[in-house]
Amino acid sequence: MEEVVELQRRLQQAGYVAERSLAAALLLMLDLGRPLLLEGDAGVGKTEVAKALATVRDAKLIRLQCYEGLDAHAALYEWNYQRQLLAIKLLEDDARTVEQKEHDIFSERYLLTRPLLEAITCAEPPVLLIDEVDRADEAFEAYLLELLSDFQVSIPELGTVRAVSRPLVVVTSNGTRELSDALRRRCLYQYIDYPSFEKELAIVEIRAPEAAGELARQLVTFVQEVRRMDLEKKPGVAETLDWAAALLRLGISTLDEDGAERILETLSALLKTRADRAGFTREVVARIAASC
Amino acid sequence: MLSLSPSVDPAAVLRARLAGFAGFLQANGYGVGGGDAARVLQASAIAGVLDARVLRWSLQALLCGRADEWRRFDSLFDAYFLPVNKTAFEKARVARAARPQAAAPAGEAEVPVAAATQGAGARDDGNRAERHGASREESLASANFRDLHRADDVRAIEALMRRFARRMKRLRLRREARTLHGRSLDLQGTIRASVASGGTPIRLAWKDRRRVRPRLVVLLDVSRSMSRYSFFHLRLAQALCAELSDVHCFIFHTRITGVGEALRDPDPWRSQERLHLLAEGWGGGTRIGECLRDFNRRLAPRLVHSRTAVIVVSDGYDTGEPEPLAAAMAALARRARRVVWMNPLLGEPDFAPESRGMKAALPYVDLLAPGASLAAIERTLPDIMEVLR
Repeated sequence: MEEVVELQRRLQQAGYVAERSLAAALLLMLDLGRPLLLEGDAGVGKTEVAKALATVRDAKLIRLQCYEGLDAHAALYEWNYQRQLLAIKLLEDDARTVEQKEHDIFSERYLLTRPLLEAITCAEPPVLLIDEVDRADEAFEAYLLELLSDFQVSIPELGTVRAVSRPLVVVTSNGTRELSDALRRRCLYQYIDYPSFEKELAIVEIRAPEAAGELARQLVTFVQEVRRMDLEKKPGVAETLDWAAALLRLGISTLDEDGAERILETLSALLKTRADRAGFTREVVARIAASC
Repeated sequence: MLSLSPSVDPAAVLRARLAGFAGFLQANGYGVGGGDAARVLQASAIAGVLDARVLRWSLQALLCGRADEWRRFDSLFDAYFLPVNKTAFEKARVARAARPQAAAPAGEAEVPVAAATQGAGARDDGNRAERHGASREESLASANFRDLHRADDVRAIEALMRRFARRMKRLRLRREARTLHGRSLDLQGTIRASVASGGTPIRLAWKDRRRVRPRLVVLLDVSRSMSRYSFFHLRLAQALCAELSDVHCFIFHTRITGVGEALRDPDPWRSQERLHLLAEGWGGGTRIGECLRDFNRRLAPRLVHSRTAVIVVSDGYDTGEPEPLAAAMAALARRARRVVWMNPLLGEPDFAPESRGMKAALPYVDLLAPGASLAAIERTLPDIMEVLR
């Protein structure tokens, strides 16, 4: 238990308010050397976990943002074709044999490392963040699985590259596509929900210290109330922090019924679709503000 | 119990208890495999078993694989490990014992279909259908789904659907093969080829943008009014899923549920059982508007892209209000390349799309197609694929 509390404290120092269950999962991940799969709605701070972990471990953070159509070339390695072409031209008058030339232009000098290759060739174990893995297709997921189980990559022209150190892998998913059972089985799992009032208040106090005190309490109450409403896109923690900054920028120091007009002006930081914005009339804002 | 034995080793009891937890979760529907018992022991050794909270969080991270498992974990952990909740534990055990029996009759009822979906059985049935002759097959293809009851019919139509799905696949492949010239130079290939000629790129290699495969999203209404048809539509969806790679199926009545995994299950018995579990409340009223709104919000952002055809199979009898349905259909139509509404009632002589739900949805539907027989569906699908090209 002490270890868990200690890690939780260090995460907090790194600017991340973690629940104890998350700290325990991170400890287990360090011990077992398994990837950690984080799921939850957008904006609940999944990506921040990896950043905080990198800070705590004093490790390098390598991020791979997944997208539709992501392939091995963009994720793993690519040859530097321009330099290779140049080298071929320069080697034209060279007396060496074709084999030697080929060996030269397919050497590591002309290899562009992409995040995954970089992660397994780091001397010190880095934190590898594979962000929004559900955006990549199933084929890439299978490829990723292979890499995460063997920690080695074979490059046809160069040979097999083995991991120097095992990266700490954090995989995030927004749950928009069902991930394969194989990937789930290979990973530790953590579901991150929208923060409770206390947790969100702690986050605001750490990340936006200027808003601390009464305003922080009020704005967190407001956001929690907004989340209970039927919205297309619920505001995440990032939105809360943005909104806090917006309130501070406009010099609003307290949320109340009379200030509803001014609160309305800042709501663009909190509500991100037209339908949601349309639902927030002056009356609605005044009612919520009055209850804060 | 082990603890009654005088020479028992407490550590062994503890190990057995911990190792049994994985099995307990598996009995409760978790995706936990055989190797996980060993991993539980390993994780417990690391996390320690003296602090229940740390053990709980560690096992939760280790054994959960999805959000619903995550949410149910706490109560299951309590039920298994905590003595105060003995009743909860007993209940869980009773439920576990009762499950197989409860599932069996449901499975039995579907025997002919389940057996016909896969493997040698399906091929056999195909032969039998052919022995009946072409006219027999033709009549099956055009027969209205609701008139088909006999097991023979069901098997024959099963084979027919598979063949039909294979035809769809060929249609797609022919089209993809028609790219002759690349759009840009493949530098990797060019350089590789040029090494042989001393670095002069004589042979150029080309690459083309990979074709985005058309995607089908099928939303099946399984409410009571559709119950005579939904069985066959599910079979068709299963055949499509088996033959085409990018088909996504959902069923809806009062909620919308993804059934792709269940349909793809290679074990026909398990597939059937999973469908049954998913279709809880099957045959009740329909709330099409709400279901589509839910689909738009949760699933559409990722699933529906500019080469997607969404096929809604429903009779349009909606117990909800028409406004949400219209709004949801509008949003869906904006996102998808083509929205097709298959109505099994269409094609009946005295039918006009006049139900409230149908009327609300109609302005946003690209194509209103009959969906009561295989022939009707077959006429419609190539047209959909054509648009997605």
